[in-house]
Amino acid sequence: MKTMNFNKIVMVLLAFVVATSCVKDDDFDIPNLNIDEPNINAEDIIQIPAVAGELAQSDEDQVTYSETGKFMVGYVVSSDEGGNFFKQLILQDKPENPTVGIKVLVDVSPLFVTYEVGRKVFIKLDGLTVGTSNGVLALGVRGEQRPDRIPFPKREEHIIRSADVATIVPKPLTIEQFSMANTNLMIRLTDVQFTRSELSKTFAAEPNDQFDGERKLEQCSNSRVVVLSTSTFASFKGVTVPEGRGTIDAILTRDFFDEFYTIYLNDLTALNIESSERCTSTNCGLANAAGPNELFADDFENQTINTPISGNGWTNFIQEGTEPWEAFEDNGANQSLGISARCGSFNSGDDSTISWLITPQIPLSNANNATIQFKSSSSFADGSEMEVLFSSDWDGTPANITNATWRVLSDARIVQNNDFFGDWIFSGLVDITCIEDNGYFAFKYTGSGDSNFDGTYEIDEIIINSF
Amino acid sequence: MKKNTLTFLFCIFVMSLIQAQEATVKGRVIETNSGEPIPNVQLSIEESIYNTTTDANGIFTITDSNLPLGEQILLVEKSGYITLRFPITIQSGSTVNFDPLLMEVDFADAQSQIGFISLADDELDDDDGSSTNVSGLLQASNDVFLNAAAFDFSATFFRPRGLDNANGKVLINGIEMNKQFDGRPQWGDWGGLNDVQRNRDFSMGLTPNDYAFGDLAGTTNIVMRASQYRQGGQVSHAFANRSYQGRAMGSYSSGVTANGWAYSVLVSRRYGNEGYVEGTLYDANSFFASVEKIINPSHSLNFTAFYTPNRRGRSTAITQEVFDIKGNQYNPFWGKLDGDIRNARTREIEEPVFMLNHYWTISDKTRLNTNLGYQFGKIGNSRIDNNGTTLVTFNGQDTYVGGARNPEPNYYQRMPSYFLRFENPTANDYQNAYLAEQEFRNNGQFNWENLYLANQIATNGGKNAVYALQEDRIDDTQITANTILNTILTSNITLNAGLNFRSLKSENFASIKDLLGGTGFLDIDSFAEESIDVDAGDIAQSDLRNRNRIVQEGDRYKYNYEIDATVVGGFAQAQFKYRTIDFYLAAQGSQTSYQRNGLFENGYFPGERSFGKSEKLDFTDFGAKGGLTYKVTGRHLIDFNAAYMTKAPGIRNSFSNARQNNDVVIGVDSEKIQSADLSYIYRSPIIKARITGFYTGFEDATEIGFFFTQSFQGQGFNNDAAFVQEVTTGIEKRHLGGEFGIEAQVTPTIKLKAAGSLGQYIYNNNPNIYYTSTDFDGPKTFGDGTTKLKNLHLSGGPEQAYQLGFEYRDPDFWWVGATTNYFSNGYVNVSKLRRTDAFTTDIDGLPFNDFDETIARGLLQQEQFDDYVLVNVVGGKSWKIDDYFVGFFATINNVFNQEFKTGGFENSRYSDYRKLVEESNRDTPIFGSRYFFGNGTTYYINAYFRF
Repeated sequence: MKTMNFNKIVMVLLAFVVATSCVKDDDFDIPNLNIDEPNINAEDIIQIPAVAGELAQSDEDQVTYSETGKFMVGYVVSSDEGGNFFKQLILQDKPENPTVGIKVLVDVSPLFVTYEVGRKVFIKLDGLTVGTSNGVLALGVRGEQRPDRIPFPKREEHIIRSADVATIVPKPLTIEQFSMANTNLMIRLTDVQFTRSELSKTFAAEPNDQFDGERKLEQCSNSRVVVLSTSTFASFKGVTVPEGRGTIDAILTRDFFDEFYTIYLNDLTALNIESSERCTSTNCGLANAAGPNELFADDFENQTINTPISGNGWTNFIQEGTEPWEAFEDNGANQSLGISARCGSFNSGDDSTISWLITPQIPLSNANNATIQFKSSSSFADGSEMEVLFSSDWDGTPANITNATWRVLSDARIVQNNDFFGDWIFSGLVDITCIEDNGYFAFKYTGSGDSNFDGTYEIDEIIINSF
Repeated sequence: MKKNTLTFLFCIFVMSLIQAQEATVKGRVIETNSGEPIPNVQLSIEESIYNTTTDANGIFTITDSNLPLGEQILLVEKSGYITLRFPITIQSGSTVNFDPLLMEVDFADAQSQIGFISLADDELDDDDGSSTNVSGLLQASNDVFLNAAAFDFSATFFRPRGLDNANGKVLINGIEMNKQFDGRPQWGDWGGLNDVQRNRDFSMGLTPNDYAFGDLAGTTNIVMRASQYRQGGQVSHAFANRSYQGRAMGSYSSGVTANGWAYSVLVSRRYGNEGYVEGTLYDANSFFASVEKIINPSHSLNFTAFYTPNRRGRSTAITQEVFDIKGNQYNPFWGKLDGDIRNARTREIEEPVFMLNHYWTISDKTRLNTNLGYQFGKIGNSRIDNNGTTLVTFNGQDTYVGGARNPEPNYYQRMPSYFLRFENPTANDYQNAYLAEQEFRNNGQFNWENLYLANQIATNGGKNAVYALQEDRIDDTQITANTILNTILTSNITLNAGLNFRSLKSENFASIKDLLGGTGFLDIDSFAEESIDVDAGDIAQSDLRNRNRIVQEGDRYKYNYEIDATVVGGFAQAQFKYRTIDFYLAAQGSQTSYQRNGLFENGYFPGERSFGKSEKLDFTDFGAKGGLTYKVTGRHLIDFNAAYMTKAPGIRNSFSNARQNNDVVIGVDSEKIQSADLSYIYRSPIIKARITGFYTGFEDATEIGFFFTQSFQGQGFNNDAAFVQEVTTGIEKRHLGGEFGIEAQVTPTIKLKAAGSLGQYIYNNNPNIYYTSTDFDGPKTFGDGTTKLKNLHLSGGPEQAYQLGFEYRDPDFWWVGATTNYFSNGYVNVSKLRRTDAFTTDIDGLPFNDFDETIARGLLQQEQFDDYVLVNVVGGKSWKIDDYFVGFFATINNVFNQEFKTGGFENSRYSDYRKLVEESNRDTPIFGSRYFFGNGTTYYINAYFRF
């Protein structure tokens, strides 16, 4: 066989084989991901407040849309990228200065890979149900008592992405401004820090953290506290909370049992520590022991029942309404501790009841390891509330009470509406060593003659010690 | 008395004189059409012990003073050629000379090629935890039973004698091709070379092979030497709907030229966008070249190289639930991207082989064959990595955001069963299950665009890719050297001996194959869970020496280690052939060593635990075997073989978690094997039959599995869920059974055949088992540290298989055949965890208080698959046009489109009594067993042209 001939044969064989069909190779280009703006008539687009209003006007717990042809527009503010949200998208009506937000329940995880923060989306409402879930406005499919998640096969039908991705400007709020109207919004708290007792804890990886780790965050201006909740599935659950103070962007919502306001982070980039210096606080945690020196004590046994509390340095001040703090004694089901103090607006007819019971000035500047303790009880508290406050800049005159800076003593356990009305709740031995100045402790009652806000709060056995 | 003695002695003398006169049968065998001599043709005088084979020039001689005289039948056989029976008359002192003796290529040989094709092409993945590999011994041979196993039983992973292909040896030009990793030959390395792989020396079972000690399931030596190919060429094209859609092949061989050179080349291409199973793309090219110089009659030097890059889309075992919705062609791994099918799990094999072979004929009785082999390249398996994250450093602490879920469409949380998992489903649950079912039915494929979209969003947000296409790579570089001596000591005794050396460096790592539009991928384990005293930022690191590295396409990540393996060995074998008895004895010894060298310092296993060199594992092994064939008469033979051997475990079963650390398997040891078989063979001009009983016992076998489980109770960590390595050692297995084959040439054109196998392949003890994981410290065991496997069946094809068939061969060059095959007694691969005390252990480490033994027995009952019948048809025709041949053949498998399960395995995710009771109470389990389903009706048609 001649080599020439041989080469020829090889060439023919190669040509024969190469000429046959080819298979798609593995070099795939990035597909075209451009989004065409969905073609929805402007008159079919409704805002989140309209959806909220629909529920508010209904007698039902859930309102289902059908054959309306309507689409709700909103901007995504939540992200499950950090694992802190699960199968829900929080939408608000506008990227800036939002007014209403809504939680959209959808059985898909993760969602950040499709709906990033700022993404404008249209929600096809027909087939969906608006209601309340864990205390906040929610959209999903009709469930037995509250909306359920939109099934994953229905996701693309109901959640339609716009090409628009906006920059979300968090809404500045203070903790005292928290209200239902602000839930499901991206808010910003400025000058906040974790309370002293939370320091050295992780966000949600402590042994007793179940479902969520709950950490108290206080506002420097008045030591008012909000709970920052972090899922135990969050990727940053094991990070230790920072000591310094700064700004936090988070989503305001209610806790799982709808008992209090709480905020959730998308991830830690939303927590911006601006200073390592901690600010003044009245939230020092709990102490192990009370000292031998009694700085102040009152069990109200020297008071006259059914008359306002007086003497022993007390300032009894009605800021609004008609109801003072008064002494009482009850030996029935709602037993007092001998003679106790109480304040309530039941049958008061008040538009608003705000009453203060303030201790004399307590000499804390030289006190060692001071503590405060008391007991509290309530009856039909409903929407009325009692706070324990501290001020070091009040001058002692009733006229200036409202001008002074009152900080919240949030480590003190105060009776909750769901505690049994006959029980007296111990405050705990509240550490007040972080208070460096002399000042006044106040029990502030807030209520009204409205039957939803006309509860009664009772206090007793107030003792302040030091070593 | 004395006289009688004298007469007797005289008679003896005369007889010996007469017998001393030698008779000779000799000749030269050539191919009818080409006139080329045919080597390795087997010739025998029927009903006698006399046999021989032709040499390279087709020449043979049978000469002996004891040849049976008178009218005899000379049997001329060679695989791939039509068997001839010549009536001859042998006379004392005379010579019968056939020159030439014409042999014709059997166009039914094409059929044997199909058997081999489907074997090489369909070899399945074993990374699903199953071991449904077909046996290495499937190939065309003269044995009726093995032919049935190769052509008709292979579709259902029937394994002769229950042996897996790691129990058979494949050699090419005398060089062992089984991988050190798992002992299995990597068929993909020589796929598509069919035309140049027809010369094979196959030894069934333990029977002796001239090139190696061999193994239980037989030894095949594929001869790929330029001088051994006849001059001429062939082009062919095949169409099919099995693993590929088409195959084009062209080959040409020069034959030995006058100046002693010989060349052979082949190119082929196999292609298909999908096979029988959806999305299983096939893209394979094959190149082969061999050149040989016959230097002189004593020395010949051959060089052979082949390169068969191939890329295939994989499929997987599916649950009954998935099968019921999507059928047996469903494959969750693919989806459309820009109109093309893209499979997320592809396998690419590119391992070219180069060989230098020296053949030295030292004398006419002694030959020495010395070989040098070099192989390098890669095996890559791709998959989606859905855990891409971005580092967020907060206050000096590392955290990671991102990570997504398994994007596969059959992920359990997308299945209807998941929505009905609670005891009393609500109306909404049923609605969701219905929607999930509809979604899966209509939209059950991979969504590539979602992955690109996620990465686009990540990129826009300045973050790393969430998804990437990962490739798990094994890059081997191997050098093999061996030398094989073959010497005929006396006319009755042949001696074979060999020495071999193998050195392997195996690099194992993951790399990024495609970032899917992302900018980079963060190399950390996002599943790392910190505990109080360990920082997630540390344990999450794939490489502590290169923290929080962002990798690009082509970069190694996740794990990176080398294995150095060395094997030195030798064998010696003596074969004795006498008038009524042939027997052989063989022995081998070897030394195997493995060492891991970690190139990444894994965060879970800092320091030497993962980085640098591991303990060096050494295994010293030996084996001995022997056997005999007793020829009762020429028609009746008894064959017996027995062996005892030890075998070093493969690399895979020596390191318990090689991807992450240097740990060696605790109690790792060589496997001990004892095996014996006894056959009765009957051969007459009309009937060929064999019946065999066999036994093989394995001891000290090791198996390693990897899986996620939620049934790890009572081990002192929080949620009983862990990704574990399951290490089982000291496994004893027993293979016991019988097989038969019978074929009858009832007329010159019609052949009837029957074959069958009945076996019982079981675990023979309760082996030791332990678990390791990054979720807990140290090895953990349950109860007495064993898993209760004794008497459970091994998985891997049906234990019983029977065939009835016929062939019709028309004198007018066409033929047709059909077989009916019945299979039964296939068993699911059992979960070992379920058979440990984890099954009965509650979270406090004590037994479940509601344990009911009767219910438990039901839960642990090993599933037996339904039996089934497959009908296969094959036929072909050929024409001779001038000096050329044109022909085609076609097969249709599973003519009646029978649905059947070829194998399956239990899911260990739920392995405890309580969860399994819950599962059994569900209409459809969430984590049900996964099954391999057989193909429906498929065809294969091949047309060829020879010149």
